[in-house]
Amino acid sequence: MADKIKITIDGKEISVQKGSYLLDAVKKTGVTVPTLCHHKDLTPTGTCRLCLCEVEVRGRRKLVTSCNYPVREEIEVYTNSEPVVNHRKILAEMYLGRWPNVPAIKYVAEMCGITESRFTSNLTDENPQACILCGRCVRACREFALEKIIDFAGRGIKRHLTMPFGEVDPHCIGCTACAFVCPTGAIEIVDDLNHPLDPQMIRDHGMKVNAEMAVLDKDQCRMREVGTANIVDVMDAYDLLPVHNYQFGTHPETWRINSKMLKARYFTQGQADGCWKGCSMACAKTIDDFELKTGPYRGQKVCVDGPEYETAAGAANMGCFDADFLAEFNFYCDTYGIDTISAATTIAFVMESFEAGAITTEHTGGLELHFGATNETLELLHQMADGRGFGVDVGQGIRWLKQKWVKEYGADPDFLHDIGMESKGLETSEYVCKESLAQQAGYGMAIKGPQHDEAWLIFMDMVNNQIPTFEDKAEALHYFPLWRTWFGLMGLCKLCWNDVVPADNYATDEPHKIPEHVDNYFKFFEGMTGIELDESKMLDQSARVYNLQRVMCRMLGYGAREDDHMPYRAMGPVTVKEYESRAERYDKQLKEIIGVDPDGKITEERVGILRRYREDQYEKVMDAVYIRRGWTRNGVPKIERLRELGIDLPELVVIVEKDQE
Amino acid sequence: MIVVNERTRLEWRDGMTAQDVLDAMGYRFSLITVTINGEFVPKDDYDEHRIPDGADVRAIHLHHGG
Ligand code: SF4
Ligand code: SF4
Ligand code: FES
Repeated sequence: MADKIKITIDGKEISVQKGSYLLDAVKKTGVTVPTLCHHKDLTPTGTCRLCLCEVEVRGRRKLVTSCNYPVREEIEVYTNSEPVVNHRKILAEMYLGRWPNVPAIKYVAEMCGITESRFTSNLTDENPQACILCGRCVRACREFALEKIIDFAGRGIKRHLTMPFGEVDPHCIGCTACAFVCPTGAIEIVDDLNHPLDPQMIRDHGMKVNAEMAVLDKDQCRMREVGTANIVDVMDAYDLLPVHNYQFGTHPETWRINSKMLKARYFTQGQADGCWKGCSMACAKTIDDFELKTGPYRGQKVCVDGPEYETAAGAANMGCFDADFLAEFNFYCDTYGIDTISAATTIAFVMESFEAGAITTEHTGGLELHFGATNETLELLHQMADGRGFGVDVGQGIRWLKQKWVKEYGADPDFLHDIGMESKGLETSEYVCKESLAQQAGYGMAIKGPQHDEAWLIFMDMVNNQIPTFEDKAEALHYFPLWRTWFGLMGLCKLCWNDVVPADNYATDEPHKIPEHVDNYFKFFEGMTGIELDESKMLDQSARVYNLQRVMCRMLGYGAREDDHMPYRAMGPVTVKEYESRAERYDKQLKEIIGVDPDGKITEERVGILRRYREDQYEKVMDAVYIRRGWTRNGVPKIERLRELGIDLPELVVIVEKDQE
Repeated sequence: MIVVNERTRLEWRDGMTAQDVLDAMGYRFSLITVTINGEFVPKDDYDEHRIPDGADVRAIHLHHGG
């Protein structure tokens, strides 16, 4: 990582990262060299040659284009030596001769001391917005938009751009990245879609995200390379990947389904296809020609749309560490219209119940549903879709299964309730949240059930310890669910909020909110509607809908405190085996946080003490969140809060009236 | 002794770098911001940046995904 080299630039010594480009080092020393084809967010190509510097390598001097010259060894650099100055002058004169009125050319020529050119010819183009063949647009099309719409054609003096001057290529997505990076204004934008109020505002901010994707993503989340599958590797490393129905957070065989495996052996497509063509994040990944082994399409080669994180993590949750299985499960869930998360979480619950003996092959129609049973799982999936056998029951989801098994099979209701990872009737998404109270509450208090869309606070809470008090957690559980709801209201994707992060985000006041990206979204809104937005207005827009949803839940007989709980599996170790797998962690917590000496206590006792403590913590965080949200202790919006938001309509007030304190 | 994220105590040793702390904590995420006694440490310097005894080390993971 810290591979540094010392180089000298005009006599000044400077230490630079090995492999970094010389131009960046030159800039660091405060020297300005003329550039034309270079753009900070695009791969340098050394086309215009204006950024020439003289470099001495092991006693030998040569002229190099600094923008694309990687520093690999100790060198001496001269930015202003005689050969450099002379070369630049000639180049500048030639450019000026060909494009005498282009401001960008005049500017760099002047930097080289040239205001008149001796070279004019029939190639001279008087247009001040002429194309100067710098190639930035070609690179932007490839690197920002992942397209190859414009390119050069012809050689030498016949060299020219093929788009967008001739026929408009119907594949052009109109992202305008090419125009954005063009130094001359040669590419004109004609706005005629959707009639936003201020298209330039939207473009300026969108283009920042494009540039971040092109430049930063490869070292950050690798969304372009592997999509959200990158999270599998991260979660496994932090003991947060659900394994065997959320009992554990990591597994030695995760490598079989992680992003490295998927990239190396499975993904064949990774372009902007999933949501809309033109997305520069392009997180949707696809497996082509995948041969199915089971089900109605057995033997056929199909295209699998995925897998992404939740689906891969679902496989881990079922103990199925097998990427062939993962692809097939993904394909059939999509084809049958079954949500991969609900299916995986339900089946993981079925598997644990089966292993614990709560159900047997008598109930499963003979299927041996152990963790890792890939064939049986696929068979179960086909049964669910066909409405056959045990699949009919499993397709109803965890809440329904629990009720049936208790009533008809005499299963232990407490055990099933503890391990059945559903709340409000929805199966939990694929994160282990035992060590993060804020994430537990993020799940439990989410209006639509325990999906991760409303608040994903594991890192902030568990790893960073940024929200230590109940009030801190409550603030996060006020802000983030509303912010996330706002994306839904606007129909905007959340990924370019925090799956790529500006390089200087660390220096902001609230790095976890990624303020620059929040501002991008506000500007998208303003550019579209003309309405200026700030944090408090955004939160109010969202809170109106959020509170309305909660009132509607209440109307349906839900939407109260009792509905906001999570099964204990989400909060801590249910079983002795689970406790013992992380005994060091839990014992330490007993001692240091709860103040109980675990020595001399059997594991069952330890499990019980930890449980009482954690359940109590959960109640406390609920209290704090309800206060912050302006809800009663029972979790119902106060009339006063509805009034504040301008939604104290009589038909709503009447629903919550009886719940007021 | 140094403290990581105001919670975990680690034994300090001479020559300890920011990278050593991340390794000891098992922190391998790509979006981590490290500060030592409030001062930001660039990623390129993790291997070289020495940690003084008693340091307040923060390794802030940005939440992505989800
Ligand atoms: S608008 Fe976008 S897709 Fe079309 S040519 Fe320009 S960069 Fe390429
Ligand atoms: S259109 Fe603009 S960006 Fe593209 S080559 Fe010409 S001058 Fe450069
Ligand atoms: S800026 Fe380096 S060659 Fe054009």
